[in-house]
Amino acid sequence: MRFPYKGYAGQILRVNLIKQTVKKQALTKKMARGYIGGSGFAARMLYDEIDPGIDPLGPENKIFMGTGPLTGTFWPSSGRYMFAAKSPLTGIWGESHSGGHLGPELKYAGYDAVIVEGRAEKPVYLRIENEEVEIRDASHLWGKDTHETTRTLHEDIDKEAQIACIGPAGENLVRYASIITNLYRAAGRAGIGAVMGSKKLKAIAVRGTRSVEVADLDRFMELSEEAHWRILSHPQAQAMSRYGTPLLVGYKQTIGELPTKNHQTGVFPNAEALSAETIRKNYWAKTRSCFACRTMCKKINTSRTGPYAGTLCEGPEYETIMAFGTNCYNADYPSILYANLLCDKYGLDTISTGCTIAFLMECYENGIINKRDVEGTDLSWGKPDAIIALIHKIAKREGIGNFLAEGSYRAAEKIGKGAEKYALHVKKMEISGQDGRTHRSIGLSHATASRGADHLRSLVTVDQLGYEEVAARRWGSDKLPDVCDPYTEKWKALVVKTTEDVYAVRDCLVQCWYCVSWPPVLWIEDFANILPAATGEPSFGKIDELLLIGSRIVNLERCFNAREGITRKDDSLPERFLKEPMPDGPGKGQVVNLKVMLDEYYELRGWSLESGIPKKETLEKLGLHQEAGKLEAMGKLSRNCVV
Amino acid sequence: MPYLYADPLECTGCRICELLCSFYHERVLNPKKARLRVVRLEPGIDTPIACRHCEKPRCVEVCPVEAIKVVRKTGMSFIDERKCVGCRLCAEACPYGAIFLHPDKQVAIKCTLCGLCVKHCPVQCLKIVEEEKIVGLQV
Repeated sequence: MRFPYKGYAGQILRVNLIKQTVKKQALTKKMARGYIGGSGFAARMLYDEIDPGIDPLGPENKIFMGTGPLTGTFWPSSGRYMFAAKSPLTGIWGESHSGGHLGPELKYAGYDAVIVEGRAEKPVYLRIENEEVEIRDASHLWGKDTHETTRTLHEDIDKEAQIACIGPAGENLVRYASIITNLYRAAGRAGIGAVMGSKKLKAIAVRGTRSVEVADLDRFMELSEEAHWRILSHPQAQAMSRYGTPLLVGYKQTIGELPTKNHQTGVFPNAEALSAETIRKNYWAKTRSCFACRTMCKKINTSRTGPYAGTLCEGPEYETIMAFGTNCYNADYPSILYANLLCDKYGLDTISTGCTIAFLMECYENGIINKRDVEGTDLSWGKPDAIIALIHKIAKREGIGNFLAEGSYRAAEKIGKGAEKYALHVKKMEISGQDGRTHRSIGLSHATASRGADHLRSLVTVDQLGYEEVAARRWGSDKLPDVCDPYTEKWKALVVKTTEDVYAVRDCLVQCWYCVSWPPVLWIEDFANILPAATGEPSFGKIDELLLIGSRIVNLERCFNAREGITRKDDSLPERFLKEPMPDGPGKGQVVNLKVMLDEYYELRGWSLESGIPKKETLEKLGLHQEAGKLEAMGKLSRNCVV
Repeated sequence: MPYLYADPLECTGCRICELLCSFYHERVLNPKKARLRVVRLEPGIDTPIACRHCEKPRCVEVCPVEAIKVVRKTGMSFIDERKCVGCRLCAEACPYGAIFLHPDKQVAIKCTLCGLCVKHCPVQCLKIVEEEKIVGLQV
């Protein structure tokens, strides 16, 4: 029977690497109606199929790779896709999204998602071409970096195939290894590349020739066209088209939130050298786009002089410039460009890699480690060669790299001597390029996001100066001016909670962060317009219904984490943000009062103030009765729950 | 002969042209049914490839069933899908790789120069050019 909704392919591929079997499962209407797609499907399936307490690098872990009902259509910036698994870095919910062109290709091949189980005995890769799905030998690819792997697969199979693969970092089970698509697009965080490596799954190659159908084609194209036009004519989107995410370097410096020296401060002395204008003028070669996107924020940059002359790659993004640049006190752009390319080739998350290196540099600054501990490398702040050398070591797990490959939290445990306070993490994931002291709501987002110190699942952008109109529209003009004051905790729990629900829907579609989260062009109303036109399901046209689904997904991921032992004590921030006043810039003197925001956030979410675990009534209202039952059976819903 | 041209250093590889081509010609969303392809030459180059409407079209010469005809007035060549048997000799003969096999109908398809992709290119890099004007084009 044909799947009743349009937009979806209606099929999920289930790959078992132990039995070497491939099964095609029908997508159910219940799943689509209750969880929309992408992130939602991942949360549902992995909660149901992964038992708590399993080893993320063991055969019981599963990898979900998925798209949404809009993937492969003309809706702007809909060409993305996502991965999920239990994270080897954090031991809890792991999710990572990626751009490029593989997501649409998976829909054209006739699948909404792929779920990979078990573990292969020898390296394999998955080849998907419409109905033909094979698990093929990848021993000739094992050991190759992601670029060589992609090239080889293009020669072996088809040069039009879209390839996602891991590099040596994933093979070596670096806990924050990434999955690379189209050479430069990364599903970076949470170490899902290491999960692929643990399953000996080297690559996934997709080719598809089918169409994506929508319910009301003319209305769909009309709405999409209008959305494209809105993006095209938005001045901040135009700036993104010209400069890409490096725009944020200048913005962050202005508000004093540019992480410098392992987040010690938010003002970087030589921000000009890494600004969007400097990069555009001296290093920009070409602009690139993900599938069906008009924002075209990807930039190909190249350096022509110096020790890294000849480097050419897409990126680096703002987070990468922060991770290998400002946060390591390094103002040398060519070295950051080269570091970015290395991370693409090795398959490493640039944020975790750079922030782990920054952690080590601060340990070095404070004499906790010395040159002998790091094979003679001079780890004083700002030495590009040291950064590059460490990237190689981490990917290959050589020398100090073997500690660092475990992530800054575990490395700090091994090093001891007070190193722990310099490992800036939440739930063992390194903190990204934001600072709660200069933007309160991100402090709450970092503390509460399901995958750890995440900057995408609930980061609010419009609670800052310059966005008062948008903020008033979303939360009411009675909340001004405090809602747009980044230095107060007031209203921040409200903005984070409501934004998190909208973003959860965004991640189901799978829609790009840009032009939804920032700049604020498309929002939940637009999703409510396009989804019925795409799927034919009228309930997707009700904003309340969509937000309920968003909340359901956030709560389901919270249950996943609760089963793994996450409670209120893990929704915390490093002491640096709670106790060390910001030393410089407009935010000088600020610290984060997390407790007051957390209390309010839990109230809004309907979670227990003591334990941070969703209350039974909350879960039941969202239709999560079984999940409530499970938590009750585990003793997690009682008032005496140990925190 | 006019043909579709795009500067490979301007094209961002977004493939909106492919998507819209399939929509305008067949009311589907399927880049494999597009009459043009954006070819990626890594690192960095994206180049839309579409029929050049050659002066001495090899595809016309090799077609065993005379399914490709030249329109004398414009010099452009068009495939008659009703005659095409899907042998792919034209696709092999084309020096630009600009002829594609329709995945369902199994007939050859190539750019008919309708120009609708030109309107929607986000960077306006797609152009319909006459060969005489290529000299003046800034590259």
